[in-house]
Amino acid sequence: MLSLEGLRAGYGRVEALKGVSLDVRPGELVTLIGANGAGKTSTLKAISGLLRASGGRILFEGAEIHRLTPREILRRGIAHCPEGRRIFRTDARAIREDLERVCTYFPILAERLRQVAGTLSGGEQQMLAIGRALMARPRLLLLDEPSLGLAPALIETTFRIIREIRQRGVTVLMVEQNAYVALRMADRGYVMETGEIALEGPAGDLIENAHVKRAYLGG
Amino acid sequence: MEEFLQHILNGLILGGTYALLGIGLTLIFGIMNVVNFAHGEFYTLGAYTTFLFLALLETNFFLALLGAVASGILLGAICERLLLRPLLGESIDTTMLVMIGVWIAMQNAELTLWGGVAKSIDHPFPQPPLTLGPLSVAPLRLFVLGAAVLLIAGSHLLIHRTRLGRAMRATFQDRETAALMGVDIHRIHTVTFAFGSGLAAGAGALLGPVFVVYPAMGDPAALKAFVVVILGGLGNFAGATLGGLILGIAEELGAGYISSGYRDAVGFAIIILVLLLRPSGLFARAERVG
Repeated sequence: MLSLEGLRAGYGRVEALKGVSLDVRPGELVTLIGANGAGKTSTLKAISGLLRASGGRILFEGAEIHRLTPREILRRGIAHCPEGRRIFRTDARAIREDLERVCTYFPILAERLRQVAGTLSGGEQQMLAIGRALMARPRLLLLDEPSLGLAPALIETTFRIIREIRQRGVTVLMVEQNAYVALRMADRGYVMETGEIALEGPAGDLIENAHVKRAYLGG
Repeated sequence: MEEFLQHILNGLILGGTYALLGIGLTLIFGIMNVVNFAHGEFYTLGAYTTFLFLALLETNFFLALLGAVASGILLGAICERLLLRPLLGESIDTTMLVMIGVWIAMQNAELTLWGGVAKSIDHPFPQPPLTLGPLSVAPLRLFVLGAAVLLIAGSHLLIHRTRLGRAMRATFQDRETAALMGVDIHRIHTVTFAFGSGLAAGAGALLGPVFVVYPAMGDPAALKAFVVVILGGLGNFAGATLGGLILGIAEELGAGYISSGYRDAVGFAIIILVLLLRPSGLFARAERVG
């Protein structure tokens, strides 16, 4: 569905991605883990068109997309839910409209979300940010650190919702600091180190991998 | 008291056009992160286009005003596409220098094209002032106030009630995330610059018949626009509107009660006070860009 072939990109003279190759197949939940500054967020930004590729290719359903604008990429069915939620804070009316549609996606949350209009808690903002990305009815959802800054109970809820989204047929590529939880729920995983893919494989194998255990799982 | 009310009315008339100038500048600043030093030249462009339509093409006065706004929109769009779009993502200093270049180029083009002698614009309004109780006002000035109010209200509706306006506000808050939501950032930038330049040209077209038209008339206008933006706060639409009116009234009161020579000094005194006491603008807590 999505493939990156030797993707290179950077900010000014700093090269953040030094030839990244990865694949996401239809229906999969793939996770991208790695330390801060490894290039995870840059990879997602390159896919959604926020960061220009300086080399390599990005293919979505067989067509090159790395020269398209973010708007065109969104239209093709890739929605990017950015790190840190990045909701538009001041337009209460727009938020309420978004919320109503989010509620149709997650009926369990409906009642709770209707209580708030302008000031949402961190977890509610994360729901809103994911729901907003789903508004475009994407076939591929890019999630950047969905658990960032959330209380443990809310992290649990957020991941449950991501599993539900995937069950509804949306393919997911997720960047996550919380490597253990991410690998537990993913089909396959990629480990990024300093702009390159260091390891890849079925998520279950990566959890057992000695290097991953030592570097990312605190074992 | 009557004198005071008269000053307030004159201040509102002047302030309405200051608000038009300030709104354009603050939107360009807030949404595009461009310090538009050429803003005053679009004001001059509006005044000269009105003169061109009336004196040379001999059209109707109101058609000339529309033509002036259209010229601002058109040249603004061209300026954005040719000069600013290639610099998207460059530092604010780079675009500032480019706009200083545009300022110099436009002003000298006007000097070459029209010569340095001031021109006056004819208008169809009767000369004798209308008296409203204790107040008197020239019909032309009343029209200027009405047109400015109409343009400000129209801009407000555009920014708050349309999809385009929502996209502009989203771009102001968070350009990257707006792009991820499918907002065409290039288009928003072209529209914003064209819109702001059109408002400046409209202000020039309205004040052209009130004063006289000359190539350097945009310089004081640009200074006033910067005062208004600082008063109202960066990217703050309502702030720019109120800031324009406050500046207009303060100038009239200063000119009336201190000395007419101090008219411009009042604006700068306000700026110094605002920068000392409330550097993020008088209305810092108000919503920005809308």
